[in-house]
Amino acid sequence: MSKRSDARNLSTRHPSRVTRRGQRIGVFVCHCGHNIAGVVDVKRVAEELSRYPGVVYATDYEYMCSDPGQDLIKRAIREHRLSGVVVAACSPSMHETTFRRAAEEAGLNPYLVECANIREHCSWVHNPGLEATEKAVRITRTMVEKVKGNMPLEPVEVSHADKCLVVGGGIAGIQAALDVAEAGYEVILAERSPTIGGHMAQLSETFPTLDCSQCILTPKMVEVERHPNIRLLVNAEVEEISGFIGNYRVRIRKRPAYVDPDLCNLCGECEKVCPVRVPNEFDRGLLERGAIYIPFPQAVPSTYTLDEETCLGIKPLICGKCAEVCEPGAIDFDMSEEVIEEEVGAIILATGYDLYETKALPEYSPEDPDVIDPLQFERLLSATGPTRGEIRRPSDGKVPKTVVFIKCAGSRDPELHKPYCSAICCMYTAKHALLYKHAVPDGRAIVFYIDIRAPGKGYEEFIHRVMEEDRVLYIRGKVAKVFREGDKLIVWGVDTLSGQRVEVEADLVVLAMAVVPPEGVEELARTLRLSCLDENGFLKEAHPKLRPLETLAGGIFIAGAAQGPKDIPQAVTQGSGAAAKAISLLSAPVLTHSPEVAEVDEELCSGCRVCAPLCPYGAITVEEVAQVNELLCEGCGTCVAACPSGALSLRNLDDAQVERMVEAALAELEGAREAVEVKGG
Amino acid sequence: MKMNGGRNVRPGGGKDMEGDMSSPTSLTETRHSSPVPRRDAKPKLAVYWTGSCGGCDVSFLEVGEAIVEVLSRVEIVFWPALVDAKRSDLEALPPGSIDVALINGVIRTEENAEMAKLLRAKSKYIVAYGACAHLGGVPSLADRWGKEEIFREVFGKGFRPGPPPGANGEAALPDLLDAAVPLEDVVRVDYVVPGCPPPAPLISRFFGALLGGEMPEPPHVFANVKALCEECQRVRHDDRRIERIVRPHEVLPDPETCLLEQGLICMGPVTRGGCNALCPAAGMPCTGCLGPTPEAGDPGTAMLSALASLVRFEDEGEEYFPKEDGVLEALADPLGTFYMYSFGRFRRKR
Amino acid sequence: MASVNGFEPRIVAFLCRWCSYAGADLAGTSRLKYPPNIIPIRVPCSGRVDPQWVLEAFERGADGVFIGGCHPGDCHYVSGNYKTRRRVVLLKKLLPQLGIEPERLRLEWISATEGQRFAQVVTEFVRELKELGPIVAGGDALRVTRDGQVQIER
Repeated sequence: MSKRSDARNLSTRHPSRVTRRGQRIGVFVCHCGHNIAGVVDVKRVAEELSRYPGVVYATDYEYMCSDPGQDLIKRAIREHRLSGVVVAACSPSMHETTFRRAAEEAGLNPYLVECANIREHCSWVHNPGLEATEKAVRITRTMVEKVKGNMPLEPVEVSHADKCLVVGGGIAGIQAALDVAEAGYEVILAERSPTIGGHMAQLSETFPTLDCSQCILTPKMVEVERHPNIRLLVNAEVEEISGFIGNYRVRIRKRPAYVDPDLCNLCGECEKVCPVRVPNEFDRGLLERGAIYIPFPQAVPSTYTLDEETCLGIKPLICGKCAEVCEPGAIDFDMSEEVIEEEVGAIILATGYDLYETKALPEYSPEDPDVIDPLQFERLLSATGPTRGEIRRPSDGKVPKTVVFIKCAGSRDPELHKPYCSAICCMYTAKHALLYKHAVPDGRAIVFYIDIRAPGKGYEEFIHRVMEEDRVLYIRGKVAKVFREGDKLIVWGVDTLSGQRVEVEADLVVLAMAVVPPEGVEELARTLRLSCLDENGFLKEAHPKLRPLETLAGGIFIAGAAQGPKDIPQAVTQGSGAAAKAISLLSAPVLTHSPEVAEVDEELCSGCRVCAPLCPYGAITVEEVAQVNELLCEGCGTCVAACPSGALSLRNLDDAQVERMVEAALAELEGAREAVEVKGG
Repeated sequence: MKMNGGRNVRPGGGKDMEGDMSSPTSLTETRHSSPVPRRDAKPKLAVYWTGSCGGCDVSFLEVGEAIVEVLSRVEIVFWPALVDAKRSDLEALPPGSIDVALINGVIRTEENAEMAKLLRAKSKYIVAYGACAHLGGVPSLADRWGKEEIFREVFGKGFRPGPPPGANGEAALPDLLDAAVPLEDVVRVDYVVPGCPPPAPLISRFFGALLGGEMPEPPHVFANVKALCEECQRVRHDDRRIERIVRPHEVLPDPETCLLEQGLICMGPVTRGGCNALCPAAGMPCTGCLGPTPEAGDPGTAMLSALASLVRFEDEGEEYFPKEDGVLEALADPLGTFYMYSFGRFRRKR
Repeated sequence: MASVNGFEPRIVAFLCRWCSYAGADLAGTSRLKYPPNIIPIRVPCSGRVDPQWVLEAFERGADGVFIGGCHPGDCHYVSGNYKTRRRVVLLKKLLPQLGIEPERLRLEWISATEGQRFAQVVTEFVRELKELGPIVAGGDALRVTRDGQVQIER
């Protein structure tokens, strides 16, 4: 006996997508005063629709959005046992929510309510009469077809973890961590270097107020360490992030410091006996450090750290001299790395920036010790720096009498280097020039510039002060070449305002290098499984104007220079802003998400993987068959249109529905073409 | 789920699958309700070719030695390619006396249509064998032009398929139909064995079911529901994209990686599996001969959409438009590429 | 469709919810006038528009099909419109092979603030379709020259 095998062998229109039988659609045509009724014969529309297959009730009313109008809908739903509602009125952007809520109150699933736009798309743009009325009929019919194919849906709810992860311990990360912690949520702050503070800790003073950078930063750093809600992890890198909004699983690898921070008393004897000498990162190579070292005296956590990479050997132990002289016995060579796994609800990426390497500009002799980058100059200015705050040039320790500052080094150069403006160089160069002139009053400070960008509060005034009071010489022009000649660095530039070539004999040259994303950001972005880097490698915001702190991954926020070059007040602002976003997420009892998302019919999916690369949200994963994460899916339907086998469909907008909508839009209108009646004159 | 090309006709003839399946079409044939023969019986088999290249008749040999077994277990009552027979022999058979008639070839001429109807009347079950009978096949690409245009192009002005000078009307060549159509446009079709020609696994599947007494209830297509990619051994990367479109003679493809990723237009994602993806296994992209998967709808637009979606470079943006267009331009003949076998079914004159 | 004299083309429009549909709304709010030949269907993103719908519409008698999406770079769903654009490029290569003038398919980037532009574009499209005439369903393939020019011989 033959059996019915393989029920999907031929197109059988999956039961879940079949037009629901026994449709009882109600159509409500709104007059909207004269707005619609003055152009469209609303009674005629209702009458035409009452004869349309599936429609059991059709009426018209003055103002559907009013209370009596909504009551009309609710009563009709109950009395006529409606299975769907179409309100032919204004744009859904106006009142779709209104009518859906009303229907829900009457016991009808809100997703079975649609608006037919016969105002903005019809009565407001056409002349009164037959054509407008016929168009209104067509539009309403298409929405009846849509409703006929809609399924009742419920918003997707998901619970979420209560913690927040902040990646990066610079000023933006510190601010974000403090704000989230203050709101009462647990924060994990992961910083990959041995101390928090970021680049701001390297600065001498900040523009335009000339605050001592460390003085304003250190209290915040200490607060982070002290705060009961913040778990501070240094030497820690985020290895993997998986999951989705509200439910991220993070894996952090914490390198051992080999020094117990609770025992270390900062005596520094260990570094004195350490045989290793390597360039110190904090001073950008202007000083050396031992393999065991503290980045700077105010480091948080306040402890020395043994750097495994530069130590002669720990496992097996080669030297061990540091432990011999450590009185509190803080050094422990048996420490091992820790892998920390946590579930967090929100993540804030505040990975900061680095400077474009001077090597990229060979025309400026970057290998010359007296050609330095701005962070190195900060270290020279700093009282805790290699020269104790005296400005002495690296090559011979002499006080430079002529310092040339070259702005836009590597920035604003779409052909060869970075196309963008690095935002902070104009201000810090002015600051550097000013501080130099204060330190060396008889010195000459010359700034080669193309433009001067000083948008912040007090910034323009600061520039003026630098030019007028401190007599820094600003020359508008690019520098072609810098080269050593004996004791001096020769700078060849141009003064575009006078049209003359300029040659300066400088003692020290400071290159305002472009701000670039730090190393490791690409790998971090990759673990997030979606494109969250912009064309310059900075973290990409969801929308440049209106969503600057969110990424396209729900629950992952960004703050600070990680998003693009910016100054400290902007970074702090973004840190607080990202914190607010995280707090908003963490404080919601459940997260809800629209149910109008894509779904896969696993019986049809062959695993062809046409869909997965198309999703900007990384919502599709494919093993043998594709799967859509309904929390990540935003319902755009791009994958659905691309799916060759029809396995993917978009809830409440599948191809069968649209087919019928198109048919309804184009069908010939039967019935007499008598004159229509419209209101008013 | 995708729409079909605006037409309701599927194997089974003219009715939506949820609707009534037992009513005949308007053509003169009757539906027989007796089951397909049991294991011990020898089914009466007919095989006929209409607008055919002959490949389908040859294809039976693909099952290798098993053909001997098959032939010994059927009774061939009509098979012009193999056995001498005349039309009058067929006309003399009682209605429904042929158990299964396999018809291959497109319905191109009046005679093709007549023979199809005749076989329908004489057979319990009609099998559309091969892509031409199933979907129109390569010959149905002719449907992009009308009959008149074709005559003009091929023969110049004034050609009519009339009788030779001095002969009577009976000696005339059969006239072309307005379009080259799949079998189901002319008679109700019970089964389909798709392919150009049907590949050995599917031929075996069919005869195995027929001779094992396990035929599924018609209508039924003897191929997988899922697309070829399910069977294909090539690796598909999650971040795949297409940066060029090339034709098979222009490249030597990497044997491990998906052909689509390498720029070859493989119709695999939209085509039924069941052939063990033998073309991709041999380094040739699938051309879609088994026809589209049941919910794919129109395979041409389905594949067009998939292909266009995947063509991209390292990022998307206005600056990439010219490069993307350059790649897309390389697709010289979308119609021939996407509808190579299926134009008859999906895009014809209405 | 009612017409005083001459042929009135019928257009189906797929408008993306965030940009072009809103732009059409703005045209309404601004009381701009344009011909009534166009019936809009709202989709979440132009990327949802399946090329099959386009051919379906033509087969059911649409003289023109309009797809409205966000400007490149502005897609609410990031990159849906890029896929739409590429699909339309291929569709326009296929259409003449099916006997349909590629001009009958129109893809426009219209933002939510471009009400004026929406009205303008629709008016233009209707005018162009009137010149092209009614669609010939199932017509012979059009000839396409080597440099991509479509020759219409009707």
